[in-house]
Amino acid sequence: MSEHEFHPLVKQLLDGDITLADLPADLRAEGEEALRLLAAVDRSVVSVPAVTWRVMAGLEQRRRRVRPWLLAPALALAAALLLWIMPAKPAAPALVTVRFVLAAPDAHEVSLAGTFNRWDSHATPLVRSGPTGVWTATLTLPAGQHQYAFVVDGVRWVPDPGAPAVDDGFGRRNSVLTL
Amino acid sequence: MIATLLVIPLTLLGMQQQDSIAARLEGRVSPGIATLVQQLGVAASARGLPVDPLIQKAIEGSAKGVPAERVATAVRWVAMQLDTAAAALREGGVTTDTLVIAAGEFAISAGLSNHDITALARTGASVSSLTVGLRVAGTLAAMGVPSAENIGLISAKLRSGQPTGDLLLVPARVQAEIARGVTPAQAAAGLERAAAAQARHGPPPGRGTPPPHPPSPPHP
Repeated sequence: MSEHEFHPLVKQLLDGDITLADLPADLRAEGEEALRLLAAVDRSVVSVPAVTWRVMAGLEQRRRRVRPWLLAPALALAAALLLWIMPAKPAAPALVTVRFVLAAPDAHEVSLAGTFNRWDSHATPLVRSGPTGVWTATLTLPAGQHQYAFVVDGVRWVPDPGAPAVDDGFGRRNSVLTL
Repeated sequence: MIATLLVIPLTLLGMQQQDSIAARLEGRVSPGIATLVQQLGVAASARGLPVDPLIQKAIEGSAKGVPAERVATAVRWVAMQLDTAAAALREGGVTTDTLVIAAGEFAISAGLSNHDITALARTGASVSSLTVGLRVAGTLAAMGVPSAENIGLISAKLRSGQPTGDLLLVPARVQAEIARGVTPAQAAAGLERAAAAQARHGPPPGRGTPPPHPPSPPHP
């Protein structure tokens, strides 16, 4: 690029503010030269380099990738998954009253442990009824399938002799109650 | 981005499951058993299996004073049975439902096979009826009713479309027949014939409606 700097009056000439005749005589040659150079400028349409268009196209595509309508299905799916993992409140099962009985004349205490009380051997004590050694407890349980055992004197796990029983996986038997 | 949106809820699901299991086991089992049940529970839940039987078995073992390694073995065994039950139900055309899978697991633990579970699933009964049917079949197996008579009876009951309350009375009826001196197999076969006849001719007078009272407790 040329480092030539035109005189301010010549620049006014190029801008069309003044005519060549308005220039002082010592600047007219410079003015003519400037006009000649201006006339030589190629005024054909200049195309933007292809690389620019590729960059612009890339930016456009990137803008398209984050269009909100494309996120909608993904957001809907995510919302559905969140609803799925949130514990739905199940319908309350029917309740059934059940009386448990164990004849254990020598026992000092008898309790009931099972799936309905998280196998807590202290949660459901039986009551001794009379001198016969019959222990009883009456519970209201949700309909479904329950497994249980009596706990005699806090240490001995005894299946209910009046109910079917299954292997408990620990070498003992659990009584089964289906309501 | 879509993958991220999918991963976040699944991660939350795993964390939520772990917290829930840990809360239910807190103070009831050793830390080692708690960790094992959390791992098995999250994996089971991801496969659509119920978690409650795993938690119950761990708590039961600890409450009974069983050594930790034996509790771990029992919990793993329950997880395997849940998988077996779920596969048997799918084989029978029943889609996953945690209650029916748990009922199938109980039936297997009581002595029924995966083929028995599939046979009951193929009766076309609703999932809720099938759940009750599996529980009752497991109970009959625990009473000593052989598989053939057991599945024959429960299949006939399920196909008859009778209310589930009637199905729940089956163990008491089998027990009553046994008390009269027949074998468990004979008792179940007799009830199956009666159910088949009822299906052909319709319910006897006064039957065919849900029982007005809940099923009898084991010690009426």
